[in-house]
Amino acid sequence: MAQHQVNYLKDGGLPVALTTIDKVVNWGRSNSLWALTYGLACCGIEMMASGASRYDFDRFGTIFRASPRQAELMVVAGTLTKKHAEFIRRLYDQMTEPKWVISMGSCANTGGMFNTYATVQGVDRVIPVDLYLPGCAPRPETLQYGVMMLQQKIRRESASRAQKPKRLM
Amino acid sequence: MQQSNRLRPFFENITFDRVDNEMILNFGPQHPSAHGQLRLMLHMQQEQITKAHPDIGYLHRGMEKMAENMIYNEFMPTTDRMDYIASSSNNYGFALAVERLIGLEVPRRAKVIRMMLLETNRLMSHLFWLATTALDIGAMTVFLFAFREREYLMDLIEDYCGARLTHSAVRIGGVPLDLPDNFIGDLRKFLDKLPENIKDYEDLLDTNRIWLMRMENVGVISKEMALSWGCSGVMLRASGVEWDIRKEEPYELYDEVEFNVPVSDKGDNYARYKLYMAEMKESAKILYQVLDMYSETEPALMAHAPQYISAPKLDIMTQNYSLMQHFVLVTQGMRPPVGEVYIPTESPKGELGYYINSQGGAYPYRLKLRAPSFWHTGILTDLLPGHYIPDVVSIIGTTNIVFGEVDR
Amino acid sequence: MRAYTPKDNVQKKPYYTDRYWVAPQVAKHDVSSDDVFVHDLDAIKAKFEVLDAYIQVDQMVVIINAHDNFAIIEMLKNEREYNQLSEMSAIDWLATEGKFEIFYQMLSMSKRKRLRIKCKIDEKESLQSVEKLFRSADWSEREMYDMFGVVVNNHPFMKRILMPDDWEGFPLRKTYPLQGDEFAAWYEVDKIFGKEAREIIGPENRDPARIDRYDTERFSRLGHEVPRGTDITNGEPDTPLVYQEPEGVFLIEKFDAEQSVVISDRHR
Repeated sequence: MAQHQVNYLKDGGLPVALTTIDKVVNWGRSNSLWALTYGLACCGIEMMASGASRYDFDRFGTIFRASPRQAELMVVAGTLTKKHAEFIRRLYDQMTEPKWVISMGSCANTGGMFNTYATVQGVDRVIPVDLYLPGCAPRPETLQYGVMMLQQKIRRESASRAQKPKRLM
Repeated sequence: MQQSNRLRPFFENITFDRVDNEMILNFGPQHPSAHGQLRLMLHMQQEQITKAHPDIGYLHRGMEKMAENMIYNEFMPTTDRMDYIASSSNNYGFALAVERLIGLEVPRRAKVIRMMLLETNRLMSHLFWLATTALDIGAMTVFLFAFREREYLMDLIEDYCGARLTHSAVRIGGVPLDLPDNFIGDLRKFLDKLPENIKDYEDLLDTNRIWLMRMENVGVISKEMALSWGCSGVMLRASGVEWDIRKEEPYELYDEVEFNVPVSDKGDNYARYKLYMAEMKESAKILYQVLDMYSETEPALMAHAPQYISAPKLDIMTQNYSLMQHFVLVTQGMRPPVGEVYIPTESPKGELGYYINSQGGAYPYRLKLRAPSFWHTGILTDLLPGHYIPDVVSIIGTTNIVFGEVDR
Repeated sequence: MRAYTPKDNVQKKPYYTDRYWVAPQVAKHDVSSDDVFVHDLDAIKAKFEVLDAYIQVDQMVVIINAHDNFAIIEMLKNEREYNQLSEMSAIDWLATEGKFEIFYQMLSMSKRKRLRIKCKIDEKESLQSVEKLFRSADWSEREMYDMFGVVVNNHPFMKRILMPDDWEGFPLRKTYPLQGDEFAAWYEVDKIFGKEAREIIGPENRDPARIDRYDTERFSRLGHEVPRGTDITNGEPDTPLVYQEPEGVFLIEKFDAEQSVVISDRHR
């Protein structure tokens, strides 16, 4: 029987890594953020572009899902109107915990240039938002940077217990 | 606030007649293949649709109301957000309507640049249409291919005006900037490669069995129906009506360039797909001709009309009177003459018209946006009954509706 | 004393008044100058009363009585080859005349001509639907009802189209403010959380004025003026673009800016 010399410290050593449950779970969560396809308006096109060939969102582990049950990230891309507001709330309620929301573009952040009767002045009136992306419309790079920031935020969170309910405002 | 909210399923707008075996299916407003926020109420008999009821307005932002509260130049960025796939064509339609209202003639170089913008936007729009429709039907490769080419065009537009999606690249009375140095070379390089790319898509789709089954003889629009529903653009030409505003009522330099208007009399999804592909080739043809025109033009970019249009920057910085006029035009806005115009242009989706009623003030008294997609959505009411559930997706795909435009 | 603001037209007004300004007119030409339109007009005049007709920006405008609208459009469609109704909508003249103006924008593809039929109705008056002639009027008339409250008779489905069904008010009327009324301001909160949540969520913030306190390029600091472009961050560090935590991330390779490749040729 051949004797293999095992150096526990060199060449990666043993295939064992010591860590905490928090880190492992957060590693999994942050690197497979499945986003709900919530393209409402122009920003939705940039969201599609970031999923398409040049910007290639898949390398972040972000795959767009059409069902809120399979998604944990909601990218609200575009203008939210008063007629649509109840649907965004209903879809948000249908998403499983833990869930995060990125508000993409000026319209979703504050109502943007549409300071009119028909526009909700910021999606945070309806659902709690984790990250605001500025721009009209934000470039795909902005969305990708935003997702990276969200990953950092997730890594800081505690994974072991249920998420604290988020305050709306 | 994590309180239980009071949302319950509801079906406004519709009275349901309870019939045996009839099912009512709600499609949207947030559906991945609805191309935006379309809500369809479908009455189904098994898999077959007996009655369709499109519900729109989920992206209604009150643009016409905004226009009444804005000076003319201020409204230009708002038009970007209408048909956001091809913003410059909206900008252009508005600029043209105001120019006709005040009777302005635009310098030739501005016309050439506008033609380039319009046709690159048409290409962008058609590529985007191809990508999304193919994705809806399941052809992921075409989606990736078409987006690749679209990104090159976005780069070109970005070089010109700095924005990818919302260009605002046309001003009332001309264009704000001359072309950057690399633009002509890059556009030519892109156009030289385009036939190869189009051939790629066609190789993937034309004889594809799935594509043909989803497209051929599905969503047939008769000539009478298309005319009655106010269809325009490809939707009308696929039904056998040869009507292209670029050809029939030429604006800009469309009467100087050589191009064909592809027509088909089948009226089904496949005919529309073939027309979009043919239109891309025609756009490339127009762009080649326009590129040659550019070098022969004078460098002026904005029309000379001190009452309505600011003077060039050099004049503003050196001449007192130009500065005063510029100040008035920026703070108070131009005041077009009293009157009304309706100016149609051929946007990538169809007939994009602006009706402006001016009462001589700095704000339009009434501005009506005639967006082609509005009627292309309406036609679903008559088109969908008789079709099956999978056909809904491909029909919505080929009608090429954009909800910024439908709801405005 | 507070300045008087008229209630019948709450749209934005210019802040200046120009007493000596006489607005020029877009030229109106006589219909006889165009030999296609003149025949159309004669055909209309033979059967109906025409209040006014002229050509403006290459399109004929015919002003008719509101009760003739269906018959005239039917005649134009069947006899005069105007085969498409491209657009129709209303204009609000309630503040000045107490009337709505309805316009029908028609297109003849064989003659390559566009004409506009216009008529006026009172606020409470209703109009005959042309949906039987052009299906496109189905949605246009619904939109007109939604935006102006103009009711159309003989329409198959006279409901709101763009605004929600339970909406109050007609947005494109001049009496309706751009930013909506009380009902509009609380619409989504009332609908989703109920009226009792109004206090928790608070009123809408519609103030677009947001000032960056460190920006000396575009904003001056009143009372603390500094030369343009001066750095006033006072040593406060700028937030750099960080892609990962500086200590690295568990199981993920550390991002190295030196190693990353920048692609400069787009058509690669």
